[in-house]
Amino acid sequence: MNTLGIILKQTLEARNIKCLLRENNAGEDYVCIEMDSFAETLQLINSQQLLRLIAMWAAEDFEDHSGFTLFYVFENYNVPELLALEVRLKDKRATSIALDFPIACYFEREIKDGFGIEFEGAFDTRRLFLHEAYPDSFHPLLKSFKNQALDLNHDEPKGSEYIFKEVAGEGIYQIPVGPVHAGIIEPGHFRFGVMGETIFNLEIRHFYKHRGLEKLAEYKKPADCIAIAESISGDESAANAAAFAMSIEKINNCTVPERAWQLRTVMLEMERIYSHLGDMAGMQVDVAYPVGASLLLTLREEIMRYNALMSGSRFLKGIIKPGGLLHDIDTEKLLDFKKYLSAFKDRFEAALKTACNSSWVIDRFDTTGVVKKELVSPLNLSGPIARSSGAAIDTRRNHPYGIYDKVKLNLPSRNEGDVLARFMVKADEIENSVDIINHVIDNLREGPVLSECSNLDGYSLTAVEAPRGQNLHWVYVKNGVIDRYKVRTASFCNWWAIEHAVLGNIVPDFPVINKSMNLSYAGNDL
Amino acid sequence: MIFDMLRNFFGHKIAPDIDPEQEEFGKLGLELQKNIDAVFGRSLAIRELDSGSDNAAEIELNSLGTPYYDVERFGISFVASPRHADIIMITGAVTHNMALAVKKTFEAMPQPGFVIAVGDDACNGGIYKDSYAVLGGADKILPVDIKIPGNPPTPLEIMKGLLALMNAIKQQRH
Repeated sequence: MNTLGIILKQTLEARNIKCLLRENNAGEDYVCIEMDSFAETLQLINSQQLLRLIAMWAAEDFEDHSGFTLFYVFENYNVPELLALEVRLKDKRATSIALDFPIACYFEREIKDGFGIEFEGAFDTRRLFLHEAYPDSFHPLLKSFKNQALDLNHDEPKGSEYIFKEVAGEGIYQIPVGPVHAGIIEPGHFRFGVMGETIFNLEIRHFYKHRGLEKLAEYKKPADCIAIAESISGDESAANAAAFAMSIEKINNCTVPERAWQLRTVMLEMERIYSHLGDMAGMQVDVAYPVGASLLLTLREEIMRYNALMSGSRFLKGIIKPGGLLHDIDTEKLLDFKKYLSAFKDRFEAALKTACNSSWVIDRFDTTGVVKKELVSPLNLSGPIARSSGAAIDTRRNHPYGIYDKVKLNLPSRNEGDVLARFMVKADEIENSVDIINHVIDNLREGPVLSECSNLDGYSLTAVEAPRGQNLHWVYVKNGVIDRYKVRTASFCNWWAIEHAVLGNIVPDFPVINKSMNLSYAGNDL
Repeated sequence: MIFDMLRNFFGHKIAPDIDPEQEEFGKLGLELQKNIDAVFGRSLAIRELDSGSDNAAEIELNSLGTPYYDVERFGISFVASPRHADIIMITGAVTHNMALAVKKTFEAMPQPGFVIAVGDDACNGGIYKDSYAVLGGADKILPVDIKIPGNPPTPLEIMKGLLALMNAIKQQRH
C-alpha cells in the first residue's frame, strides 16, 4: 500500500471528508473523492509543500461511475509511489487549480478541449490542441465521438480565433516565428515581444502536429498500440514503448524476464546517448562552431548504427513489447558494442574538450537562458532541465523501474540553470549511460526475453525517465480493449520553461536556448 | 588548458575517419550528383516541411548533413525558405492544424517545383490514417511526385528516392 495515499486518507478523515482508498490490481492507490470536497482536499495537498502536481487527465465512464472522472497525480521525490487523486464529477463542471499549481493551466485546457469540461475560476480558457479549423463544439475524446476523418475547411475556419497576449509601447515590436521554421525542425509558433534586441515576452503556441494519438488507441487491443506509443516522439521510441509495455504488464501482473529488462536498459540508455549527442552538437551549431558539432554528430551516427544492428531500427522501434522483447539480441553483438564504447568514451571526452576549450562557445553558453530553480516545481520541470537548475531529480532514482535500482546512477546536478549547465549535465549523463550499459553487459543473464502477457482489464500508471525527462503513461483497459490512453511527456511541461528562460536574452540567442532544452514538438502535440 | 587553447588556434584540425562501409552511399551520391547536374544544373535546393511527423524523419534528414553523409558534396542543400527551393520534402501525415501552413509553404515555392513524401505517414497517412486529426498522406493536399516509404526511411533510402525523382523528371522531358 502506498504511504502517500494512506496519509491523505487519514488526514481527510480527520476532517470528516468522505473519501475512498482503492488499490487497483496493479498495486497502485487511488484516493477517490467527490467534487464537493475537492476544494478542501486540494487546500490540504497544497499546504504539503513536498507534493507537486505532475499530471492531470479525464476519463469518461471510468469503472462504475457514469460521467466524467478527473485524475490528479502528485509526486513526492522521496516516496517511490505516486499519489493519484480521483475526482468524480456530477456534470461537466470542475474547479480550476491553476492559481495554486500553475502547470494545471495547460492540463485543464487540454481536458477542456478533449471533453468539454469547464473549469471554474480558470485564468486562461483558450483552446489548446484544437486550432481554429475545429469547430468550438468539437471534443474528440468524448465517447459519443467515433474516431473518423473530418472534413474541415482550413481557409475559412469554423473555430474561434486564438488571441495572443498584447504587448505594446514605444519601441516595442513583435516577432512572429513559425509554424514553419528555417531549418529542418518541427513546426510550432513563437511570438516574441522585443525591446531593442532584448526579449521581454515570449508566447509559445503549439499543437500544430496534433495527430490525435490518445483517441487513436481507443478500442484497440493493447498489443496493437505499441506503434502508437513509439510514434509519440521518434527519438524517444524506446522510452515510450517501455512505459506503455510496463503499464500493460502491471495490469496483467506479468513478470518480464531479467534478460529482457537488461536489454531494455541497454536500449533506453543508448537512446539517451544518441539524443544527448544530437543536442550537444546542435547547441554548438547554433553558436556557429561546426568543428565541435561534427565530432559529436559522428558519434551519434555510430550509436544509431548500433541501434539498427541490435533492434533492426535506427530509432529502436519495433523491439519492445508487453512481456519483454520481440526478439533477443546476440550477446556477441553486445560485447562488440561494449568494445566500441571504450573507444567512444575517449573520443567523446576529446570532443567535449574541444567545445570547452573554445572561448566563444563557452562565452555564448555561459549565463544564457537561465531557468530558475523556483520554476521546477510549479511548472513540473524534469529531466536535464531540472537537473541543471539545482533539482537532482530523476525518475530512475525517485521511482525506480525495471533494473534501475540495481545499477549505479550518478546523477549530475548543477545550479546555474543556463545553457552551459545543460550542456555539461548532458555530457555527464552520456558518461553515466555508458557506465550503466557496461555494467549491464558485464552482468548479462541468459534466458528468454519474452514472457506470456495476458489481456486482462484494469488500469495502470507508469513513469519513466526518457532523455528529455519524465514521461507518464496511463492505460485503462476495459472489455479487452483500451478505453483511455493518456500520455504526458516531459516536453508537455518543460516547453513552458522556455517562455521564462529567454526573458532578458537577445533574440539571436533563442536558437541555442531552445536547442539546449531540446523539447519534442511531436511529443508535446501528440 | 593554455596549451589546448594554443593547439586549437594553430594546430591541424583533423576530420574524423569515415569508414569504408560508406562506399554504397558514396557511389549513390556521385550518381545522384551526375543526375542533378543534368536535370537542375549543378545544385538541388530542398526545403523540409514537417506536417505532423514523429520527428524521426527530421533526424534522418538532418543526418544527411552530418560528416558520415555530407550530401552538400553532391550539390544537395537544405534551404531555409520555400522560396529558394526546387523540392519540398514533406514528412508526416498532414494534420488539420498544419494544413493551412502546408498549403502556404507549397505556394511559396517557385514553379516548376517538386514534392517528395518522406516516410510512411507522409506517403499514405501511416498509423494515423483513421484519426480525426489528420487529412491523411501528403497527396491529400499537395501534388506529390514521389513517395519514399519507411518508418523513417534511412539516409540511403532517401538518397535513392531523390535519384528516382531525377530519373522520373528526365523521362518526363523526353
